[in-house]
Order: sequence, then structure tokens, then C-alpha cells
Amino acid sequence: MNLVIDNLDRILGLLLLALALGLSVFFLVRDRRSGISALRSMREIPAYFRFRRAVGLAVEAGKRLHISLGRGGIFEKPGGAAFVGLTMLDRCARAASISDRPPVATSGESITAVLSQDTLRRVYTSLGAERRYAPTNGRLSGITPLAYAAGAMPDLHDEQVSACILAGHFGAEVGLLVEAGERAHSLTVAGSDSLPAQAVLYAAAQEPLIGEEVFAGGAYLGAGPAHTGSLRMQDVLRWVVIGLITAGAILKLTGVWP
Amino acid sequence: MKKILQIGNALVAIISGGLVLLGYLLPELLGGLRQLLVQWAVILAAFALLLGILNLVAVHWKRITSPKSGVKAVYSSVLLLFMLLTIVLTGIAGPASDWGVWLVDTFLVPVEISLLAVLAIVLVYAATRLLSRRFHWSSLLFLVTVVIVLLGTVPLFVFGEVQVLVNLRQWVASTPAVAGARGLLLGVALGTLAAGIRILMGVDRPYGD
Repeated sequence: MNLVIDNLDRILGLLLLALALGLSVFFLVRDRRSGISALRSMREIPAYFRFRRAVGLAVEAGKRLHISLGRGGIFEKPGGAAFVGLTMLDRCARAASISDRPPVATSGESITAVLSQDTLRRVYTSLGAERRYAPTNGRLSGITPLAYAAGAMPDLHDEQVSACILAGHFGAEVGLLVEAGERAHSLTVAGSDSLPAQAVLYAAAQEPLIGEEVFAGGAYLGAGPAHTGSLRMQDVLRWVVIGLITAGAILKLTGVWP
Repeated sequence: MKKILQIGNALVAIISGGLVLLGYLLPELLGGLRQLLVQWAVILAAFALLLGILNLVAVHWKRITSPKSGVKAVYSSVLLLFMLLTIVLTGIAGPASDWGVWLVDTFLVPVEISLLAVLAIVLVYAATRLLSRRFHWSSLLFLVTVVIVLLGTVPLFVFGEVQVLVNLRQWVASTPAVAGARGLLLGVALGTLAAGIRILMGVDRPYGD
């Protein structure tokens, strides 16, 4: 019994992981079998609705899309947000593959920058348009927070960007990026895993993504049943966490749990 | 051949990711292996930084040589010039030398402080723009909370510290703000978990083919 109590956090971690993996596989298989778009049953997030429209308009108008991936490294907790940003980059690059101006991705962390180049290369290769790939479209803008913002601002302002999506780990410096987008009259959809950045984005961005909305980007931009499945998994796990918190509070209040 | 490479890449990523994750949960069994894999990744990250710097040089060199760049070519020239200067000075004297510290104190720190000052103005402007853009009770609540927290944090001109505002700020910071932050962080944690699981399942492959 003591062994279980001593290792309770690890056991719970393993259980949570197994549950998350099981649910993801279950929803993925179910959505693939049904063949019906799982997006239909999800609530509309206005930011993604507007962004999808903006992508189409950008392609028609020969304007550029800008994707800022933040400065989160994949070795740290912010890596999750960076991966979501890369998925969005993949979707944007596919949608804008026929545009005269290919999308540009900026990041403030070297591995994320390399991954963004790889993502763009993979998209163009899969579409048989290798010649459209330019490594300089996946850019490392700077490696300190403000250097990153200062490096990405001219890209937003000067490169005829009609829509930009900021998805990744940012700090308060994201305010400068959003303002650069505003001055370029482009649509700014922005979300982050960091609370200070979310507060800034709520005030500054045209379409802020609050909380876990940024992690739903892949599903809402049509990245496939794996993304919609993992979104459903999050919904189920959220109720599990709410149940655990409520049960813990009741046990604590009644004195059952010391 | 390409297919084999794709599967190989995915397998390496899935197995490495799985072992590192299990290393956190089963440290006695896989802790050593986890540390080894993370150390390898750190070495790779150093090379990625080098690639990132080369990418930065390529982007700005392209701008300098492009006839359409105009004044941007000047900015890019300044950046490359100072990058070269920094590499030479810190390469010869070391990053903690007087020259290295001089470079940071003379150029980087003042420029970043200036950007922070600009950021403060940008945030005030964004807050005032919020109501015209999204006139909603939540926007109003957001702005009222910001004003209360600001007034409760700094002493007011003539009045000094107003105890009611200080108490209100403390209550906001310790009760509703903490509750909201925890809710948001739980959502972010679940989102991060989902992103990690997609990588482990080999569905998302940002590492290429």
C-alpha cells in the first residue's frame, strides 16, 4: 500500500497516458470508419473560420501568409504549442501552394526553425512542386524574445502579408508582432500556451485563441481525423479532470482524504 | 527506398519519444536511457542553432542582394556587420570577456529596453482599441480588472497607496485570477498531451520524410 502511495503521481501519470492514448486511437478509428467529417459536430471557433476564408482570399489576391511559431523549444513544455504551429504551417502551405507568394514561417528557436523548413519542404515535395521550396521561407528571426519580435516584425509589415497566424510559445513581446500585423492591415489570428501572452493577445489580436483553442488548430484547419480524434480525447479527459478535482475537494471537505 | 526512410524516421522518433516519456514515469528502469537520449538531443540542438544562424545570414544576404529591397538592405547590412563583429570579438576574447560584455551592454540591452518601452505603449493602445473592436461584457471586465490591478500595484499621485485598491488587487490576484489561470493551464496541459500523443502515434511528423 505504501509503495502505491509513494508512487501515486507516477501511477496516475501512466494511467492518464494510457487513457489518452486509448481514447485517441478509439476516436481516430471511429472517425475514419464513419467517414463523416467530425468537424460538423464541433463548435465553431470564429478565429479559424475567418482564417480559412483569409487563406482563400490571400491565394486569390496573390498575397502572402505568415505563420509565427514562437520561441518554444521542443525540449521544453512549450514544445506542444510549437508542434501545433507546425501543423498549421503544413495546412497553410498546402492551401497556398498555388499562390504566387509562398507562406513564410518565423520562429525564435533554432530547432523549430529547422522543423519549419522541413515542413515546407515536405509539403512541396508531396505536391510535386519541389522547385517552389525555398529554405529562407522558414526563418530563425532571433533567439531572445525581443530579438525574435524585432526580427519577425519587418516580415509581417513589409512582405504583403494578408493574414498571419501566431501559434506557439510567446511572452508579452507578442504584442509587438500583433501590432505589426495591424499596421499591415492583415488578419491576425493568435494563440499561445503562455498566460501572459494570452492576456496580451486578448486585448491586441483581432482573433485571439484563448486557452486550449490554439491546440485545436490542426482539427479546425482540416488536418485529418487524428486531429479531430485527439480533440475529442481532450474533451473526455477534461471531464475526467473535472471529476477528479470535484472528488478530491469532496474527500478533503469531508475529512476522508488527509 | 524513400518509403523505408520514412518508416525508419518515424520509428526512431516514436521509439525515442516513448523511451524518454517512460523514463520520466519509470526512472529506476529507464532514467539512464532517458538522460542519454536527451544528451544526444542537446548536441543535435547545438548544430540546429548553427543552421539557424546560417539561415539568418542567408535571409539577410538575399535581402541585401535583391534590387527591390530598398532601405531594408541597409538594415540587413547592419545586422550582418554586427553579427560578424560579435562572432569575431567573442570568438577571439570569449563570450564573458570585456568585449563580449561591452557588446551586450552597449547594443543589445539598450535596444531591447527601447523595444520594451514601445511594447508598453502598444499594450495601452491595444487596451483602448479593445472596446471599439469587441464591445462585450468580457472586454469591459478585462479592462476594469486591468485598471484595478494597475491602481492597486503602484502608489497613486498625491494619494499614495490606497488600501482599498491594494486589498482589491490582492483579492483579484489570489482568487479569480488563480482560478482562471488554473483552468487555462489545465486546457493547455491537455492540448500539449494531445500534441505529444500525435507525435508518438506517428500521425504528426514534423521531422520530415
